[in-house]
Amino acid sequence: MSREQTLRTLAGFIAEVLDDELDDDLDIDEDTSFSDDLELESIEFVALAELVQSHYGDHVDFVGWISNLELDAIIGLSVGDVVDFIERSVEAG
Amino acid sequence: MAEIEVGGVKLHVQRLGDSPREVVFLHGLVMDNLSSWYFTAATRVATSRGVLLYDLRGHGRSKRPETGYRLEDLVAELLGVLDAEGVERAHLVGNSFGGLLAVAFALAHPERVASLFLVDALLPTAGWGERMVGTLGLTGDARDATIGRLFENWLGRHSERKRNKLAKQASALVEGTTLLADLRGSASFAPDALEALTMPIRAIYGAESDVLPDGRLLAEHAADVSLTVLDGCSHSVMWEATEAVVSGITGWLAR
Repeated sequence: MSREQTLRTLAGFIAEVLDDELDDDLDIDEDTSFSDDLELESIEFVALAELVQSHYGDHVDFVGWISNLELDAIIGLSVGDVVDFIERSVEAG
Repeated sequence: MAEIEVGGVKLHVQRLGDSPREVVFLHGLVMDNLSSWYFTAATRVATSRGVLLYDLRGHGRSKRPETGYRLEDLVAELLGVLDAEGVERAHLVGNSFGGLLAVAFALAHPERVASLFLVDALLPTAGWGERMVGTLGLTGDARDATIGRLFENWLGRHSERKRNKLAKQASALVEGTTLLADLRGSASFAPDALEALTMPIRAIYGAESDVLPDGRLLAEHAADVSLTVLDGCSHSVMWEATEAVVSGITGWLAR
C-alpha cells in the first residue's frame, strides 16, 4: 500500500465524517491540520478514529496510539501524522 | 458509526478495549458528549479494561428526541444501554451531570453497579434541576460564557465553525426539547436515601466549585466514600486537573 493511497483513504473518511460540511476548496494533504484547517470537532475525531480502526483492523491500534498522546498533541495533529502512524503500523504488522 | 436503539432512540456508542465491557463513562449535560471522556481517561483505561461510552440522548452523535429528559428517563436509558451491551455490573465514571446520573442509577439499580467514580457530581437532592440549570449556564449570556470557557478548556483554539456548531446544538437541545422543564420536574432524593449507596465510591471535587457541598453531603451519608478536594479547581476540575482525574480513575480501577 502506498503512502498516497493511505492519504486518499484517510481523506475519504474525513469527507464521510464531515458529510456535506467539507469545504470544497480545501484539498486535503499531509499538512492539513484537523483542528485549524478542517475544524474537526472532538466528537467528529472520535467518529474518524472508529472508521480508521474498523478499516485497518487490529494491527493498526489507533485507539492505543491516541491513549498515549496528550490532549494538546491530539488537538495539534495533522493528516500527515495519522498517515505516518498508519504506515508505521502496517509495516510493523 | 456504532449505534444502538434504546427506548426508541438511536444512541451513538463507542466500545473500547476487549470484552467484557465493565467500565462505563457518563458525560455532562448539553455542551458535552462522549469525546471528553474518550480523549482523557477512556482510551487509557481501555488498555487494560473493557470500556463503553455513549452519547446521552440529545448529545453528540445520538438522536435528539423532543421529550424524555427527566432523570428517571435517563436512568432507564442507561439501564437499556447496559442490557443491550450485556454489561452485568458496571464501574460507572461520571463527570458533572454524568456523576448525578451515576448516583441516581446506583440508587435505582444497585445490583448493576460495582463502583462509582464521580467528578464534581451534583447530587439528585431536592431542587437539583434548578441548581443544574444555574451551574451549567444553559441559557442566554451564561450559555455564551460557557461556550467560551469550553473553548479554553478543551477545544484549545477558536474556530467559527466549531463555535457555531456547538451553539446551534446547545440551543436545539435547550430550546427545541423539553430538557429544562424535564430537569426541573425530575425525581429527587432526600439526603438519607444516599445511605443506601453501599458500593465503593471515589469522588473528586474542585475546592472552588459551587457543587462541593454535594460532595461533602455524599461523604457524610454514603457508606464507603473516598473524597478528594483539589485546591484551585472549579466545577471544571476535569479540565483544570485532567491528569489528576485520569490517574485517579486508572488507580481506582486497578485497586
